[in-house]
Amino acid sequence: MGAVAVRPVRGGETPTSASPWRFGAVALALLAGLVVLLGLSALVGPHWLPPLAVFAILLHEGSGGLLGSACGGLAPNPATCSIWTEVVWDARVPTLLVALFCGAALALSGGTLQGTFRNPLCDPFLLGLSSGAAMGASVLFTFQLALAEQATLLPVFAFVGALVPGMVVYAAARRFAANPEALVLTGVALSALFSALLATFLFLNPSGGLQVSFWLLGNLQDQTWTRAGLLAATVLIGGSLIVLYGRELNVLQLGPEVAESVGVEARRTTRRLILLSTVVTAVAVAFTGVIGFVGLVSPHVVRLLVGPDYRRVLPLAALFGAVFLLGASDLAQVILPQIFLPVGIPTSFAGVPFFLYLLYRPGSRAR
Amino acid sequence: MSETSGSGLGIADLSVHYGDRPAVSAVSLEVAPGEVLALAGPNGSGKSTLIRAVATDLEGTVGEVLAAGRSLGGLRPPERARLVAWMPQEEPPGDNVPLADYVDYGRYAHLARWSASSAEDRAAVATALEEVDLTALAQRGIHELSGGERQRARLARALAQDAPVLLLDEPTAHLDVGHQLDVLERVRAHARAHRRAVLIALHDLNLAARFTDRVAVLAHGRLRAVGPPSEVLSSELLAEIWGVVAEMRRDPRSGLPYLIPQLPIRPSEPARPHRGFRVHVVGGGGSGAALVRAAIERGWDVSAGVLPLFDTDSELVREFGVPAAFELPFAPIGPDALRRLDALLGTADAIVIAPFPVGPTNLANLEHLVAWTRRRPILLVDHPTGERWDYAAGRAEAVRAELLAAGALSVPDLAAALAWLSARSGRPAAAPATAVE
Repeated sequence: MGAVAVRPVRGGETPTSASPWRFGAVALALLAGLVVLLGLSALVGPHWLPPLAVFAILLHEGSGGLLGSACGGLAPNPATCSIWTEVVWDARVPTLLVALFCGAALALSGGTLQGTFRNPLCDPFLLGLSSGAAMGASVLFTFQLALAEQATLLPVFAFVGALVPGMVVYAAARRFAANPEALVLTGVALSALFSALLATFLFLNPSGGLQVSFWLLGNLQDQTWTRAGLLAATVLIGGSLIVLYGRELNVLQLGPEVAESVGVEARRTTRRLILLSTVVTAVAVAFTGVIGFVGLVSPHVVRLLVGPDYRRVLPLAALFGAVFLLGASDLAQVILPQIFLPVGIPTSFAGVPFFLYLLYRPGSRAR
Repeated sequence: MSETSGSGLGIADLSVHYGDRPAVSAVSLEVAPGEVLALAGPNGSGKSTLIRAVATDLEGTVGEVLAAGRSLGGLRPPERARLVAWMPQEEPPGDNVPLADYVDYGRYAHLARWSASSAEDRAAVATALEEVDLTALAQRGIHELSGGERQRARLARALAQDAPVLLLDEPTAHLDVGHQLDVLERVRAHARAHRRAVLIALHDLNLAARFTDRVAVLAHGRLRAVGPPSEVLSSELLAEIWGVVAEMRRDPRSGLPYLIPQLPIRPSEPARPHRGFRVHVVGGGGSGAALVRAAIERGWDVSAGVLPLFDTDSELVREFGVPAAFELPFAPIGPDALRRLDALLGTADAIVIAPFPVGPTNLANLEHLVAWTRRRPILLVDHPTGERWDYAAGRAEAVRAELLAAGALSVPDLAAALAWLSARSGRPAAAPATAVE
């Protein structure tokens, strides 16, 4: 290796930057997609409800009863209407909100980890953060089921669980700075370990065996307004803080030493960003289990569209992650309406080929 | 927009350890505002480490560094970045961002937290791009720049930082000769115009002599010499620090020194006192080759010169790694070559003058030896009868007569010279038959 034979980690074929209108166009397209998918998500489910009734319920409940009438007059009787309302407003809406913010959380976390570790193969799933969080949550779930019903404690345990792989990965990144694959392999090993621990804890719970697949492969069902609110607040606050570090992330791509020489508090910023990623990942995982590849794919797709500037990549990746996860969830329900297919399965089907592409594309270091 | 400072860069008693290994030991240096100081030294001498220790919060650093009068110890990165800008020798490729964005990274320390770039930042970026002549490529992705453009982009980033102290680590690496001169000229102009204290690690001593006010020489992490290039750079210093035989000459127009490196000094040769018998061969044009070969085969140490570069004798001498004094082809023998010759003669046991053709350019070879007849035995090998060898209008014949009068011995041929030398060396001549043709 020669003096400056530092190989590009990211592919050289990505656009350098996009004009502001391109950022705006992509943002608008993603927002439009999000609105469409939110509407679609409200319609799909194991019970078929008339679409117009669903929208009437959304309008009526969403406006606090000011607009429209209950069920839009489409329900045969008030009892049915109240069931419909419950299905839409108390089950479907929290679920789609959790899906939206979970997708955003994972994408933000993935983009942040890729940036802080300067490694395109990072995401909370591949680095073991998700499995650690799920393991933490499962402790509470297994041993204190009554407490687990309270939405607030699960994320705390998930966060503690995610801190362990978070710190190991942080140490590994410093140790293997020159070797991106070593970091990912460390993450994969951690992920396997925490998945095994998670499964063990769940099987200890007499009725927990069935939960294993949901925790390991993701589960968007059975959400509540409390959970949706908690996740939304975490993602909005944590995500805003992450996005505010976009400029620092840009400079950090030149390595911590150069970044510090132009004035970036490299070590402090790195620690904070990893902590923020861990928090948003933990809260998402606490309610949905482990959903893979959303965090890997979203920032890369956005980078291909608008270039590498993190100030643009991060907010758009959050939008893309929300669209991606909602879409995957809807797809699973449309194709296999009788089964609650864990949402991690369709995201993996989409994500694994993308991961292999990143690994084997021209210019990748990992060959 | 320039933050002028009264005091430039001050390094006091700076040491850096990598673990137990000292990389820089007790270096003290001052660079005044507007001054360009070159940091020279062989690979691994600690140049980059010294620069790093000033530019970053490097672990294992002891000592005081002042920039614009402020101590850098304990400063957070943003404050440090406003005082010291650094262009490292290499850096990760980063993202393929537009050049203007990349240069704007240098403005980071001037931004209020989480605010956008101001008009002042944009002006600084534009000025920096102009200073390195890359304005036209401002929107080009940095991965699409050529090596030289990338190098200048990194310089622009450091300039945009607008700090009173500028540290450049090998800024001319990977540049062609035109861009080397161009970049250093721009750096010097920038230093003068904005009163920056500039510290540049430079491998090329001729560039250092040409573009810097002073040169500091590092070896094994220690400061060995500091001063204006004309005082610091010398053949002796090159031999001592870099282990290279070089001629030092002066640019007739600027009076600046420049060095012509010639031979690496191999461990088996000169610098150390030699143990055996040493013959110095004065020759040229192939006249000395047989003698050099025969002497080496007899196990004697050999030196040679002054030889014109690239002639038969000098090529042979290089091949055998024989220490020698050289002069440029067709140039009159100059004072530097004669100094080198004196150094070689001073450690020789005997001097043999081969039958070489003498002209005005190499007449000094003979003239110079007259003074040595009293200090060393000199053998003059006769020219074959009838061969013309004096191309200096009779002056060569005159000097030859002068040498003989002063005590030089005339021998009829190479074989006689070898026999005399064998006796002198105290070792019986056990030369292979092929040694002398």
